[in-house]
Parts: sequence; C-alpha cells; structure tokens
Amino acid sequence: MGVEFVFYATVVAYAGATALFFHYLAKPAGRATAGRVGPRVLGLAAVLHATYVCLASIIANVCPVKSIHFVASIAALLATGLYLAMRRRWNIDALGAFVAPVALTFVLGSRFVGVADQGIGGGFLALHVTVNVLGDALFFLAGGTAVLYLVEERRLKQKRAPSVFGKLPPLDALDRAEHRFLLTGFPLLTLGIITGTAWAHRIETGSPAELARAIFAFCTWVLFAGVLVLRALLGWRGRRAAYGTIAGFLFAIAVLVVYLVRGSLGGSGVAT
Amino acid sequence: MIVVVGLSHREAPLEIRERLAVEGDGVAGLLRALVRSPAIREALCVSTCNRIEVYAVGQQDSDEHVFAAAEAVQTALVELAGRNGSQGVVPYLRTHVRRDAVLHLFRVASSLDSLVIGEPQILGQVRDALETAKAAGSIGKYLDRATNRALHVAKRVRSETAIGEGQVSVASVAVDLARQIFGELSGRTALLVGAGEMAEGAAKLLVKAGAKLLVVNRSPERARQLALDFGGASRPWEELDAALVQADVVIASTSAKGFVVTRAMVGKAMKARRGRSLFFIDIAVPRDVDPAVNDIDNVYLYDIDNLSNIVAESMQGRRAEAERAESLVQHEANVFETWTETLGVTATIVALRAKVRASLAAEVERTLTGRLKHLTESDRKALETMIDAAVNKLLHTPTSRIKALASDPRGDDLVKALHHLFDLTEAVREIDAAKAPDASRNEDDKGTGQAAPLGQGSSPPAASGDIVPLTSARERETMGR
Repeated sequence: MGVEFVFYATVVAYAGATALFFHYLAKPAGRATAGRVGPRVLGLAAVLHATYVCLASIIANVCPVKSIHFVASIAALLATGLYLAMRRRWNIDALGAFVAPVALTFVLGSRFVGVADQGIGGGFLALHVTVNVLGDALFFLAGGTAVLYLVEERRLKQKRAPSVFGKLPPLDALDRAEHRFLLTGFPLLTLGIITGTAWAHRIETGSPAELARAIFAFCTWVLFAGVLVLRALLGWRGRRAAYGTIAGFLFAIAVLVVYLVRGSLGGSGVAT
Repeated sequence: MIVVVGLSHREAPLEIRERLAVEGDGVAGLLRALVRSPAIREALCVSTCNRIEVYAVGQQDSDEHVFAAAEAVQTALVELAGRNGSQGVVPYLRTHVRRDAVLHLFRVASSLDSLVIGEPQILGQVRDALETAKAAGSIGKYLDRATNRALHVAKRVRSETAIGEGQVSVASVAVDLARQIFGELSGRTALLVGAGEMAEGAAKLLVKAGAKLLVVNRSPERARQLALDFGGASRPWEELDAALVQADVVIASTSAKGFVVTRAMVGKAMKARRGRSLFFIDIAVPRDVDPAVNDIDNVYLYDIDNLSNIVAESMQGRRAEAERAESLVQHEANVFETWTETLGVTATIVALRAKVRASLAAEVERTLTGRLKHLTESDRKALETMIDAAVNKLLHTPTSRIKALASDPRGDDLVKALHHLFDLTEAVREIDAAKAPDASRNEDDKGTGQAAPLGQGSSPPAASGDIVPLTSARERETMGR
C-alpha cells in the first residue's frame, strides 16, 4: 500500500514538474516563479522515484539493476538526477521540459510494460545492465538537448522573436551540453556492447528479438561514434551533430523498447 | 503645392531600399539637381536606412504644377537607382500630395511611420535633412515652415504621449541575440567592420557585456581611434578574412555599395573555425553581408529589417499611445493646411490694408498741410498711430472672415469681389510678383503680419490610405483638397 502511494506520488510530482516547465517556457515574461519551482518539484519527483525503486525492489526481493521492470525506470531517474546536478553549471534549465515528461513516461511505462519480479542472474550481467542504464540516461539527456538545439536554431535562422520558446538556453550551451552527455555516455555504451556481446555468446539463444537488439545497439554505437569523430576531426557541430544525436538516441530507445517488450513477454531479459 | 515621392520599409524590402541609398554629399547633390529643374521650387530629402523620401514644392499651386514636381522627383530617384546600378524601383515609389504630404512628413518626424514606433533617431534625421537642404540652398519658405512644424509636432508627440517610453533599441536587440547564441559574452570577440552610429552603439553594449573588440576599417586611423575608444584592437582592412576566423560577433556597417563579406569568405572562415558559431549583425544599407551566408551551418545573419522587426514585435503595447499620437498629428496637419490655404488670400489682405491705409494717410496728410499745419511733431505721430489703429479696427472683421473662408469655395468669390470693389487686381499682381520663387530664400511671415496666425478647425482630415503610385496620382481629378 505504501509503495503504491509513493509510486502515484512520483507520477503526480513528475506531472507537476512537466506542467511547470511548459508553463515557464510558454510565457514570454513574468513567469519566473514557474521557472524556480519547476526544478524543485522535479527534484521532489526524483526523491520519490528513488524511494519507490528502493521499496519496490525490497518488496520484490530483487536488485533493481537485475530487474527488467526497473531498468527503464532507473534510466529516467538517473537522467533526472544528472539534469538536476548539471542544469545550472551548463545553463540548461529549459531541458527540464524534456526530462520531466519523458521521465514520467518511463515510470509509467516500466510499471505497465515490465514484469515486476523477473530477476536477471549474474554479477556480469548486472554490470552490463548498469552501464547500459547509465548510458541510456546520458543519451536521453543528449537527445533532449539536441531537440532543444534544433528548435532554437530554427527560430534564430528564421529570425523570429522569442515567443513560445523564449527561455531556451543559448545555442552554444545546448551544443556543449549535448557533446558532454554524449562523450560521457559513449564509453558506457561501448562497455555495454562489449559485455552484452560476451553474454550473448555465452547463452547463444539467437532469438529474433536479441538479434534486433544487437543490431540496434551497434547502430547506436556507430551513430554516436560518427557524431563524436566528425565533430573532433571536421568540426561538425550544431545542427548536424544534433541530427546525429537524435538518430542515435532513437536507436538507443529502440534497444530499450525491445528489451522491455521482450521482458513483458516473459523472455530471459538478457540485455545487449 | 507640396508633394512627397519616395519609398520606405512599408512598401520596399531592403534589397530595393539599398538601391536608392544616398547620404551626405549625395543628398545635397540630389537636392541641387532637383531645384535646378523648372518644375521644382523647393526640395528636401529624408534619407535613412528605412526610407528615402523627397519632399518638393512645385512652382505654382495648380494640379499641373504639382504633378510636374512629382514627376521630376520620380525621374531623379530613378536616375539615382540607375547610378547605383539598379533599375526597377518605380513600382515601389509612393506619392502623397498637399495635405497628405504634410501629414506624412509629420507622421515620419513623429516616428509614427517608423518600423519601430516611437524610436528617437528619426527626429534627428529629419533635422539633419533640413540642415542639408538649407546648406544645399534647396529649402524655401514653405518646406522650411513645414519641416520646422514637423519637428515641433514630433516633440509634442514625445512629450504628450508615452510613445517613446521603455524603448528597445536595435543595438540592444542585437546584443540579446548574441546572448541567445553564445550565452555569456565575456571572452567572446566582437568584430566591427566599418563604423556607423548604430554599430558603435552595439559595439559599446557588447564590450560592456565583456566581449573583446576588434575593429577593421578602410581608414586605419578611424579603426585605431575606435579601438582606442572601446579598449580593443584594430586590424588593417586586408586582414578582414583572418578577423572573421577570430570573431564570434561581426557588426558590419560600412558605406560600401556591394557586399564586403561574401559567402565564400564566410565558408572559408567556418572551415578554419571548425564550425564554431558566427553571428553577423548587418546594419548597413546597402547591405555589407551577402544574405546567402545565413544558409551556412552555425552562421546567423540579421540585417536591419530583421532586427527592427524583432524590436517592433517586442513593443506591441505601444499601439494605444500611437493612436493618441496619431490624432495629435492629424490635428497639427489640419492646422498647417489652414495656414497653407490662407497663403492664397494673403496678397489680397495685404493689398486691401495698404489701399485703406494709403487713402486715410493721404487725407490726413492733406489736412496736416492745411488747417492743422500748426500741429507739433508728437501730435503728428499720434495721428499716425491713430490711422494704424483705425485701419486695424476697420479691417479686423473682414480680414478674419477672408481667412476663415480661405478653405471654402465661397472664398474665391469674396476675394474677386474685394478685387473689384477696391480695385485691388493690379496691387495683388505686384505683391505676387514680389514673392517670385527664390529657392535660396528662407524667410517667414515677418513684416506682413497677415499669414502668421495658424487657423483652427478646418475641414476634417482626409481618409487614410492615400498612398498611391505616382501614375495613379496623375489620374486623380482632385488632389486631396
């Protein structure tokens, strides 16, 4: 009963934070309160979310990173935590308008798609899931930042006055933040792919879902590697990097979706 | 008699306006050429980055002369565009005549016709236009009075309405945009290419925000002076390409006729910059930066229209004040129109007063040399004063009524009747001849005392929407009377 209460409180807090961030962005002036309160409500949502994950995993008697049910939920929680930690330093306050609704979606999604008590065995696999979840959280932030970049870049190119998206962060701040999220997430993704490949060799199930997940994961890696390498070598930044990041993020989401769907269908929950 | 021909931001995009861009000696030359034309007696040119308009006064008040003046101005503007290497400005030219032209001048000076309503620069620009016309010898009684009245109206608008409050300048918008791209500007480099007043304003704000300043100018002395003023560094003109690699914000405001920053230059600079964002503020007219650079990734180009539009959008709340200012300007235009109309009866009034005074003076003089020859000098002076007072008293009511009927069709009958009854025709002809056109003359109504009072309550202003292409104006049977 207590866990249920915390879960719904988390949902309400994420929903409230979403509304506040959108309100903050939608009003060109005089809505500073929403801008101040939004991150606080999101922080409260993150605390409730962490409490829910701890309580639920204790009740289910399963380590969170070993549960399909918790994987997406934890990715959203980590992304929220990272955003709250970096929002001021990197001047990316408005990213909350992306983080809050997506976190809400993941919390609800993990509740109704995953199977709560399905454990994944082995410390090796736990490492694999942990790095992937951390990586997903970072890519999730990178993807959101890239979307905001494209919105702001389009407005500036078309010479429109700041209106609905008047409080978006400066373009360079978004570009830098996106690059940093990607740069941090990429080694985790690489480690996730290495551990996932090794594990896949060990169990050799070769199901179509696993194959699809492996292909999507490699596509994600290639895309992110391309974005980082082209930026370093040819100075591809801004719009091109944003498109590459969003494409990579969509593949990362595809991996997660295949993982969750398979889990809900009662598979082994092996992640690549 | 007054006509204005020109174009502004309302009907002509920047690429058209820049074809007619002219300043300083160019304006004086244009005005001198206009008053050499047999159709034009007076001329004034208001040339800013948002408009070029020539106000002209024809030789006489008839429709024919007004059309001739408008045509002469249009021809001069087309020639000017031709000298700048461009054609095709005619469809954008707009013409206003008589009261509408005066109203337009008042609205322009009051910044009601500006892209950014309430902006303060236009007042100085109209004042400069008047000074240039005076220096060129193209201003006369009518335009001098109209322009001074426009300046007076503009000051009234600024003091009696809140139209100029909370002003957002083009320079501050440019700096805000730079912040939307780069965030904090401290440590960034701003490059000033050329130096206009607005560019210096933007550079000042950027430096205040912490940016370092680089100045590139065709005149090395000017570059050094500007760099010194803002605590920056100067570079020779030949190093513009290298400066583009170094800069984050580029403010271009040269008076060059063509692009000084091309797409190829920026493309090359962006490779060397490894994709770092570059923001161009082009406030020159004609433009300095090729508009195609905006298509390059991570390059943002804003010209004067783009910036002004953003400023205008941010000041929608000024509409109510603009409406108040509009009614004030309409009233002033009516007042001026009444003064203009009294100009037509001035000669009759002067002749009538002269005739009456001369008759009385002749009779008194005859008496003074006869029965009253014993009067002292002071007595004679008292008599002279009495004659003046009698003339004023006697003619006060007729003078007022003639002026009041100046804008009425019955006024012509009254004037004709006076000419006939008092035999004024010859005297009026002599007075008109004495007022022969002289463009270099710049005098007011001092001495006559007849036309100075500005009347009140003339006919209501004509409906708006009177902006018509010259060709249409020619076809109009009546011209705004």
